[in-house]
Amino acid sequence: MPTLLGVVPFGFVAGVAAVSAGLSPLEGVALSVLSFSGIAQLIVCQLVAVDSPAIVAIAAAFVVSLRLLMYSAAAAPHLAHLPLRWRVPLAFMLTDQSFATVVRHFSEPGDRRHREWHILGLSLTLLVTWQACVILGVALGAQVPASWSLDFAVVLTFIALLAPVVRTRADLAAAIIAGAVALLAAGLPYRLSLVVASIAGIAAGMAIEVTRRHR
Amino acid sequence: MKIWLIIAGVSASTFLLRASFILFADPQRFPHAFRQALTFVPPAVLAAIVAPGLLMPGGTLDFTFANPRWIAGLVALAVASRMRNPVGPIAAGMAALWFLQWAIG
Repeated sequence: MPTLLGVVPFGFVAGVAAVSAGLSPLEGVALSVLSFSGIAQLIVCQLVAVDSPAIVAIAAAFVVSLRLLMYSAAAAPHLAHLPLRWRVPLAFMLTDQSFATVVRHFSEPGDRRHREWHILGLSLTLLVTWQACVILGVALGAQVPASWSLDFAVVLTFIALLAPVVRTRADLAAAIIAGAVALLAAGLPYRLSLVVASIAGIAAGMAIEVTRRHR
Repeated sequence: MKIWLIIAGVSASTFLLRASFILFADPQRFPHAFRQALTFVPPAVLAAIVAPGLLMPGGTLDFTFANPRWIAGLVALAVASRMRNPVGPIAAGMAALWFLQWAIG
């Protein structure tokens, strides 16, 4: 379970971010337990800290969570045979980390039966670890010295997630354009730069893909 | 009260996005271009989060050696492109950052 090690500082930082943004401990833990999405939690905390309107915070979290739509589409064919009582909890626990770990099992040949137990075990382990680390972050708050730069571990977690999803030249174009636009548009209010950058990156990937097919 | 509204809205949207295809729709019924666009969402969104985290630590663009984060980020990227295990880039990146902070500091 090497993925767990990336989750530990990330969850901790998300917990610290909640109390630093002015959420009560109960609100910070509720946000984490109900949304179970580190990126969404961090974005919400940043926007709550500057007193953004609720709709802005919800919309920003929605846009960064569009990744989940892609994970859902990729996982759906492998879960379609399961009854609802399996699909609802597995869907709830779908994250970058669980997808990155589980997607390898989907492509493996061999016995497909009881694979859902394996996915459930993995997802539950990630969920429990995540929530424990968030609670620890909420409890300790800003007591961790800033010189440790623990917030950088969050960026590193995303680098670890980013590298394996860049497989083709079109993926690379999507990543580079999105990164560049995120820097250029950083001055926009309400983290709109993330929205603009994501759309630009997706468009760049599509453009490369279309020209490749027409050659 | 506002914060609980936000918590409810964010939680509903993350669950609906996760559940979208697993519970409600067959991805095969959507046009090819749509499914193609979906595959670019993770690299685009993740890169849009990573780039400012490396190059704008103080809120403004800092491509100098006074900002150790982009150098530590490059170290992590190099490690991440060579190994699947996420511990490698996180450990290497933190070690590089702490070393650079100590060396610059």
